[in-house]
Amino acid sequence: MLDARILKRRREFTLDVRLHVAPGEAVGLFGGSGQGKSTLLSCLAGFEPPDAGEVRVRDRILFPPPVPLHERPVGYLTQNDNLFWHMSVEQNVRFGVGAREKAGARPGPGQDDRDGPQQTTGDWIAELRQALGLESLWHASVRSLSGGQARRVALARMLARRPMVVLLDEPFGGLDSAVMRDLTEALSTWRSRLGFALLAVDHQARWLERLGTRVVAIERGRVVHDGSWEELRRSPPTEQMSRLLD
Amino acid sequence: MALLVAALLFPLTGLLAHVGPWQFDGETPGSTLAAVRISLGLTGLALAIVVVIGTPAAWYLARLAGSGRTLWEAALLVSVLLPPLALGILLALAFGPGAPVGAWLLRLGVPTSNSAIAFVTAQVYVAMGYYVLAARGAFESVPRELERTAGLLGATPWRVFWRITLPLSRLGLAVALSLAWVRALGEFGAVMVTSYFPAGMPVQLWINLQDSGLPAVMPLLLVFLLSALPLPLLAHLLARHRERSGA
Repeated sequence: MLDARILKRRREFTLDVRLHVAPGEAVGLFGGSGQGKSTLLSCLAGFEPPDAGEVRVRDRILFPPPVPLHERPVGYLTQNDNLFWHMSVEQNVRFGVGAREKAGARPGPGQDDRDGPQQTTGDWIAELRQALGLESLWHASVRSLSGGQARRVALARMLARRPMVVLLDEPFGGLDSAVMRDLTEALSTWRSRLGFALLAVDHQARWLERLGTRVVAIERGRVVHDGSWEELRRSPPTEQMSRLLD
Repeated sequence: MALLVAALLFPLTGLLAHVGPWQFDGETPGSTLAAVRISLGLTGLALAIVVVIGTPAAWYLARLAGSGRTLWEAALLVSVLLPPLALGILLALAFGPGAPVGAWLLRLGVPTSNSAIAFVTAQVYVAMGYYVLAARGAFESVPRELERTAGLLGATPWRVFWRITLPLSRLGLAVALSLAWVRALGEFGAVMVTSYFPAGMPVQLWINLQDSGLPAVMPLLLVFLLSALPLPLLAHLLARHRERSGA
């Protein structure tokens, strides 16, 4: 599903990562702060261009040359909710859903050949609204939301388009553990059903472990481990990794 | 603060000054209404040109980085910093009938002196720099990440502009428009050099003052103030209200 090699010069080191994530697979991207994890996700999303490399989703090459953002079948959630503050919760969630899809067709960029539930956009959005507890907030301005509510809206908005690849950059930071657990479970359920490839960054190993069994550990822009969490814990490849896992 | 505001607003008491019975027109009957019509109509046209050309330029400038941006901004600042009278003379020299461009346009039947075109041209030149620099600030206030997020949600650049950038910068754009309106409507120096006729409000005020004295100035002065102030004041009050309500 997602095949990528990203080369990006940074001040202290050059990020050089090769990555494959299968459809429906969840991969945790783990490492200390400033090791290049967020840059990697940003390059994959198309928010910043890599210096070199290749990004491919299924048969579609997203880089090089860089494909415009609106043509990328990618969902990207960061610590900043980036909600459109002049819109309501409903308008935010429906923003990425085209007119054709609002009329009832199945949504999403390049989705026709994907496995997944034959569900109309209206049903899918209703499911998101209910599962993420957005019913009572549906018509509210996003300015009035708490941090946790805003994250749920951002998650719903991203998933409403049913992207093929989901990139999460510490999206639940600052939320209490019960909310994090609920959102993680919901995300895992939808991943299995929709079959999107999930790549998540977090400094909390425990949360990433709950999301999936595979971990790619990064240090100074290089992959130092690509395998299971169990292997990583058993024999951490570097001292820094060992400290991070303690 | 109260003292400062009182001092700043004190000139408005001039409207109550005893200057004798107000004369609606100066020596030319109908000149006041004609001046109002010319000023509002041609300033509206000039503003439309400023918005159509200036908005994309401001957006481009807001998204530009590096030395290119500094150069463009410096060029715009030159146009803003030119004294109006000097600008008027320069416009007359560059576009007047004696200049190659002016002569060519005159042959095509487009007079570049003492005409509506000359009037609008002077206003556009006076207002454009102010509008572009203020609108650039408005566009810069919209976080790039919001626009990128909208793009990744499938919105084309055009849709991102209409649905995200424009609504989130509209108050700043209203302020930019107000600035441009006041600059264009109130322009006297540049317009007087390039287009003494048709006379808009500022030039007609000058003519009335010269020909008939203060009584012939007062009615047009009042209309001038009423047409110049409401738009900027409204934009300012709206911006403050939005700020307070957090909308």
